[in-house]
Parts: sequence; structure tokens; C-alpha cells
Amino acid sequence: MPPIARRSFLQLGLGVTVLGAVGTGCSPATPAAKKQDPRTFTIYWNAGHGYQAYKEVIDQFGKDHDLQMNWQKFQWPDLTTKLTADFRSGNVPDLVEEVSAGTGTQYGLAGNVLALDEFASADKAFGFPGDFLDQAVVARQYEGKTYSIPLHLTANGLLFYNKAMLSAAGFDKPPSNWDEFLEVAKATTKDKVSGCSLNSDPSYAAPYYNQQKVDFSDAGAKQFMMPADGALRSLQWMQDLIFTHKVSPAPVATTDYSGPQKLFSAKRAAMFVSGPWDIGPIRQGSPDIDLGLAVPLTGAVQSAAMAGSGLMIPAKARDPKLSWELITKLAAVKVELAATKEAGMSMPRKSWAADPAVAADPSLGTIAKALAVVAKQDVALSASGKAAQVNELWKKAYQQMVIQHAPVEQTLADFRKQAGAAL
Amino acid sequence: MTRRRQALTAWLFLTPAVLFFALLFFLPIGNQLLTGLYDSDGVSFVGFGNFTRAFGDPEVLHSFLITLVYAAGTLVVGTAAGLGLAVILNQALPGRTLFRSVLLIPYLTSVSIVGLLWRNILDPQVGILNRLLEAAGLPGQTWLSTHPLATIVGITVWSGAGYTMVLFLAGLQGIPGLYYEAARIDGAGPWRRFFAITLPLLTPTTLFVSIIGLISTLQQFALPYIVTGGGPGNATSLYAHRLFIVAFNDNDFGYASALSVLLLLVVLTLSLVQLRIGDRANA
Repeated sequence: MPPIARRSFLQLGLGVTVLGAVGTGCSPATPAAKKQDPRTFTIYWNAGHGYQAYKEVIDQFGKDHDLQMNWQKFQWPDLTTKLTADFRSGNVPDLVEEVSAGTGTQYGLAGNVLALDEFASADKAFGFPGDFLDQAVVARQYEGKTYSIPLHLTANGLLFYNKAMLSAAGFDKPPSNWDEFLEVAKATTKDKVSGCSLNSDPSYAAPYYNQQKVDFSDAGAKQFMMPADGALRSLQWMQDLIFTHKVSPAPVATTDYSGPQKLFSAKRAAMFVSGPWDIGPIRQGSPDIDLGLAVPLTGAVQSAAMAGSGLMIPAKARDPKLSWELITKLAAVKVELAATKEAGMSMPRKSWAADPAVAADPSLGTIAKALAVVAKQDVALSASGKAAQVNELWKKAYQQMVIQHAPVEQTLADFRKQAGAAL
Repeated sequence: MTRRRQALTAWLFLTPAVLFFALLFFLPIGNQLLTGLYDSDGVSFVGFGNFTRAFGDPEVLHSFLITLVYAAGTLVVGTAAGLGLAVILNQALPGRTLFRSVLLIPYLTSVSIVGLLWRNILDPQVGILNRLLEAAGLPGQTWLSTHPLATIVGITVWSGAGYTMVLFLAGLQGIPGLYYEAARIDGAGPWRRFFAITLPLLTPTTLFVSIIGLISTLQQFALPYIVTGGGPGNATSLYAHRLFIVAFNDNDFGYASALSVLLLLVVLTLSLVQLRIGDRANA
């Protein structure tokens, strides 16, 4: 065989390169869905919910079906970003934890996640929707279709308080209404300790405006934060806690919603309003704090905001039946009870609430009382496909009011105008 | 070798680079441009509607304006800091190699780490900076709330000053010592030598630093995303952050693509203007 001259070698290399490049260039501009390994089952999950109870279920599921379980955990914003990109590329996971009720509806109406009613009606033993609390189910339904199954059901609006700090300030019980809250906050504010701590995350304003009978949205009427006088009263009150009464530090704008919990754990705040997800970090991180947990405050009414994640199946999931099977295992009552025991998380099943272990737990009793007063959600906003856009506008307005001290009335008016235009 | 063969050989060697850029840069840019001509559903053709929409979108105009302020602030302060450090560490000081290395560390650190680091340092309640200020009897800062954009500029300068310093050091070491010696004999003081010799002879380096800095600052996304989430309000929602929100929050990839093409045009124009200015300065 004659040796190949250097020039011939280069010419050959060039030819191969050009052919390869032309082949690549002729491929579709939108990448085709990457074929997943059929033995890999991918799950997207919130990083804060990686409980051992779920891990055991997922591991067992992998063994039972001879699958490699790829359990990926993200912070909520990152999960949303990745999922959006996946929906566009067509390379989707097999199961996804839904950030909040309504998100699945938004994805479902765009054809990105499956309606699960047929699976549920064919699987009577699972008990959906009969064994699930109505508010968790209704918030995930639109025009008779259910786009996600509730995993957790929680309420944002619980009052966390440091019993020792309140006691030292002369209070033997937590505040129950706004006037008492302000009184306690003023009395416990001293030196480096703030009486309370507000959150930079706008969703934490919901309990306050709900307590003034304000609805965040009425998408049908294109109205936001109405009635206006109640919205003004609640947001002005929050702003005054920071800038007039100086009983709360101005929150710091970050993507982290755990600021108040960290201040509380560091004994720099006597009270804050949040949900059951903050019980675990406080108990584990600051066991010396005598934590008090109280029912939501009463403004014009007693109210809390519904929270809690769900489970949804992407429309292009490899084997939706397999995904459904895992949902039934993850949302089984015994797993709910195990997750509650492990992390104090509250759950959506009626049989969970009726369990003696749950009924006897004082913290869970408080959460149950909060769940009884959660405000109704506007499912039409999720169905409009504009919920994320409107929430981003609300984030801007809320931070302008509580961090940058912007005039409340004008900022709310601007938000209503922008949100209405977005719809 | 004939001229034709020479050209062929040149093309042969250039081909991998040309293909690399064509496939990984120009093709995606073309695809981006095409996507920008469609509505958020990716199906309805809207022509240049997404492009014209940007000029009437107050959020986009705000983000563009603050990005220009951020870029200008970072370029001026960052260049001055890098040049100052380079001049100091170009002297025969003990331990200068160590200082040069230490100053380069922030640039070599991942932007995610830098962002998280500063977010924790600057936290008004639990951050270490306020603890130190408190210990020194000074009032605490709330810069992330009161001066968020300036704070992001400061973090960017801190992160990039080491790299700018290295570039200027290379430029300084290319200036013949003879010039300084002659100036010294003529009685020129340190400031006179700096303004009459150092600064003019560093023009190519300064130009390079400005162009690279401008391109990277106009595209800045990670720092505001990690440190402030674009807030408070929209005070640090720079153009690339806004673009990200439009794409991944509003799910409007057509509009986001149009915004990215507009950014490309702005960067390209400003870079060409800078190059032209540099050419005139060198002429």
C-alpha cells in the first residue's frame, strides 16, 4: 500500500469534515428529542423535599421495575427553567413535582402535561379525588380535567414565635389579630432583635391581604388585588411594620425565601409568618429555641394562603402508565405519614388527617386549623397561561413597596394596570 | 507553489475554524433571528413585530438603560482599578508575584460562588460585613436594598480587576524602559511619565480591555440573578436577566429571541465604534 502524502491526507480530512458539517447543517433547527435510555426513569423534584420517605419509595420502584432511577433535585426557579427548556426540546422527564396548584393546569392547557383523570378513575384503590381534601383538588382542575395530583397541602400564614422572647416581654400567649401582633412586635423589638421579619418573596404577602378579604386575581374580570381599600390597608400595614414602626428589617431582595426563618433561628427575630416547611429547619438548626406555632392572624377575617406541591406527568413522558404507578406510591397515605413524621409536612389526604398520629400532634392540629381558613384560588389565572408573568409583575411591585418604600397606593395601581395588560 | 495552491492550502487550514464558527455561532444566530420573527406560540409569523415591540416595552427600556449604567460603571471603575493595580505590581516590590496571584483568584472563581459569597457577606442581618462594621462601632449597611445596582457593579469590579490587571501588566512590560529613562533625564516626574508615556502606550491594551469588558457587561446575567434575583423591584434586572424572564418565565421565546438579536446588534455597534476610536487614536 503506497504511503499517503501529507497533502492527500489533509484533502481527505477536509472532505470528511465538510461532509460531516453539511450533514449537521441540514438537520432540523429545532433539536429532535434526545432518546432517553429506556431503563432510566427521570424525576424532577424540589431540593427541599428530598425526604427519606420518598427516597425509599423511589429506590424500591427502581428495583421492582429494573429501572435506573434518576432523581434530580432543584430549587423551584431552576426546576421551572429546566422544565420549560425540556418542553421545548421534547426531551422531558418521566415525573415532575409541581411547584404549586395551578402550574400543572397552565402546562396542561399548553399540551405539555397530561390530564390524569383517566388514570385516576381506572385506579379506584388510589382514592382520587374522594380521599383528597377538596381545596387541593379543585385548585388543580380546569373544565373538568385534573392536571396534577396533590403531594403536599400546606398553608402559608402560620405564626411562628419564640416563646421565651414573648414571655420576657410579658406575653403569655401569641397575638391573634393585627393589633396584638403590632403590640407584641413593638415590645419584643430591642437591640439586635426585631419583633417580626417580613419576607422578600411576594407570595408571603398573601396571608396578610387575604386577611383583609383581598383576592389576588379575578382573571375573568381582569382585576387584581381587589377590593382596593383592603389591598391598600394590608400592604400599607406591612410597609409600616418596616418603615414606620421599625419592628421588622426591610427584607433583602434575593431568590432565597428563607430569610425570616434564618433570622428567627439566629434569635434576631421574635415572630414571622410562614408555613410548615420552616418547622424542620428551626427544630433541627436551633433546638434550643422554644418554638411556638399559632393559627393565622385575624385582620378583617382570619385567613391563610394555600400552598403545597403536586405531581404531574409530562405529555411526552416515555411511559405515562409507569409514571402514574409511581405517583400512586408516592402519594399513598403510609408514605404521607412517614414524610410527616420525618419533616412535619402536612398532607392532602383525608385519611392522613384522620390518622391518630396526626390528630394527636399539636403542630399538625394548628396546621389543620390554618388549612380550614385558606383563601380560594383563582384557577382562571393559571388557565390564562399568564400566571407566571403576572406573578413577576407582583414581585416587582411588592419589593418596591416593602424594600424600596415606594408609595403603596400608586404601586398597587401600577401593578393592576400592568397585570391587566398582561392578560 | 502557484497562487491557487497557496490559497487552497490557506483555506484548508482555515476550514475547521470557519466550520466551528458557522455551526456553533452563525447557525444558532440565524436560528435565533428566525425564531424572533414568530409569536410566542412559535407558529404565527409576526415579521419584525417582536423587534418593534421592544422599543415600546417599558420593562425592556428600563433594563437596557440600567445595563448601560452598569456597563459604564463597571468599565470605568474596573479599568481604573486594573490599571492602578498593574502599575503598583509592576514595581519591584517584595511578594509581588504572590499579590498578582491572589488578585487573580476572584476571576478564576465561578461566578455562582462569587455571587453566593457576596450575597452572604452583604446580608444586612446575618452577613459578616455588618458584624465587622458593628464590631468597629460603625453603622451597618443595607446596600443590597439602598444601592443594589452600584453593589452589583462593585462585585463585578472585584471579580474582574485581577484579569484586567494581568492584561495591563502585559502591556506595561511591553513599554521599553528607555522611554522612562529619557523622560527622567528630562526631569519628568512620576505623574508626568504616567500621563505622557504609560497611558498613551497602553492605548491598545485599554482598547482591548474596554471591548472585552463592554461585551461581557452588556451580557451580564449571572450576578444579578444570583445576588438579587433582579430586585429589589426591577432595580437590577439587567437586559440579559429581562431576556431570561421573557423566555423562561413568560414563555415567550419569539420575543426573547428578538431581544437577544437586538442585544447582539448593540454590542456589535458599540464594539465597532470602540475599534474606530482606537484606530484614530493610533493614527
